[in-house]
Order: sequence, then C-alpha cells, then structure tokens
Amino acid sequence: MSRSVWKGPFVDAYVLKKAEASRDSGRNEVIKIWSRRSTILPQFVGLTFGVYNGQKHIPVNVTEDMIGQKFGEYSPTRTYYGHAADKKAKRK
Amino acid sequence: MSEKVCVGAIAGAFGVRGEVRLKSFTAVPEDIANYAPLETEDGARSFTVKITRQIKNGLAARLSGIATKEDADALRGTQLFVPRDRLPSLPDDEFYHADLIGLTVTDTGGAPLGKVLAVHNNGADDLLELSAPGQKQTVLLPFTKAIVPTVDLAQGRIVADPPEGLFS
Repeated sequence: MSRSVWKGPFVDAYVLKKAEASRDSGRNEVIKIWSRRSTILPQFVGLTFGVYNGQKHIPVNVTEDMIGQKFGEYSPTRTYYGHAADKKAKRK
Repeated sequence: MSEKVCVGAIAGAFGVRGEVRLKSFTAVPEDIANYAPLETEDGARSFTVKITRQIKNGLAARLSGIATKEDADALRGTQLFVPRDRLPSLPDDEFYHADLIGLTVTDTGGAPLGKVLAVHNNGADDLLELSAPGQKQTVLLPFTKAIVPTVDLAQGRIVADPPEGLFS
C-alpha cells in the first residue's frame, strides 16, 4: 500500500540538515548518512551521499532520475565479485 | 592490462552425446560464442563453440573436438580465455572492467590512493573498489568524469579527485 500523499515524502531530519549544511558550504564532500529509509528529494540533486550498507558508506551521486526513491536502493548490502570478462563501465 | 580474459568455464558434461555444460561470464551469456575460438589458460587447446540451448545455471554447448561424454567430463573445471584484443573496441569513456582492474590510482598531486580491485555498479554509477594503503577496508570511488578525470590505460594509471571524506 502506498504512502498517503498528505504526509509528504519521509526524510530523516538529520539528512535534511546535513544536506543543507553541505550545500551552503559549497564544498565537494561526501555526506555520510545511515538513513537508508529516507526519500531522495529534489534539493539533494548534485550532492554526494555516503549511504551506509551495514559495513561502509557507499558513495551515491544524486541525479534527477533518483528523486522519489530511497537512499537504500543505491547502497547494496551484499557484494558479488564476478568475472570481469567483457563487462563494461561507463564514465558519466 | 592482462593479455587474456576469462570469459567462461566448463562445468562438466551435459547429457551423453558430448555436449558440455558451459558457464558464461560475459555480460550477455550467449555472447561467449561470438568470441570463439576459446582457449584454455595455457593456450594448448582451443575450441569453437555452438550453443545448443539454455539450461539451469548455464548453457549447453558443443565444443569442437569434443564428441563423447568422457571427453566432456575430462574438461570439467577448465576455464576458457580469449585474447584481450579480440574484445571489440569501445567508445570514449567506456572501459572494460578487465582493463581497469589492477590500475594504480593517484590523486591530482600524484600521491597514491590505491589499486583497483573490482568494479561495481550500485544502480546509479559505476564504482571502483580500491585497496587503499594503510586502510583495513576497501574504498569505493564513483567512476564519474568529475571524480576520475583521467584514465591512462597505456601507463596503467588513473588520476582521481575524490571528494572530502571518502578516504576517512
């Protein structure tokens, strides 16, 4: 069941505070957060969050496509080392 | 840059007519046949591959020179390689994981940051996993133009400009 619209998106308050402080400072830094449940808001676009996965903080560069999703979706909790073979990485 | 890339492995015989159970490590599993002939690690044997069907946990395939179940069983555990130059060339800003793994990473001042252990994708960006000197845990570096401005495959070097707090 989806969340009631009148409540607005859920974000832990400390995430908002940290994001605001980082944006105001204008420094290029990783904002370490533990809140995987927080929704990604439009004001987070362009910031880099370090989202905790239970072991370490995974860097997540927020883009417009991510708005409305949760931080936890971009911080996998399991690591799989497959073979490299012909797999490609794209530098965006 | 490694000269050979492992693209698959033989898991044993499939059926009794000389087909093999093939594990493909390529991004699209069926693409393994396009890189044929595939070689063993020492280069002593090479095989052409004809994929016959998809099976649980892999592909069933016919390899050249393998006619019986006994031949197929004898190859169990054999890894299959292709020369790196047989992989198609890529556009700018696209790199094979095999090329990136093992490169040394330095910051813009030339100080070493570590070595690339693996390449992951978290659903948003590709991430380089680095073994940083003096750190217990590995560090993940977003593979973006802003953070990784230079990838020099010829010299085996990556220049990175990591954001504050990434290595702490």
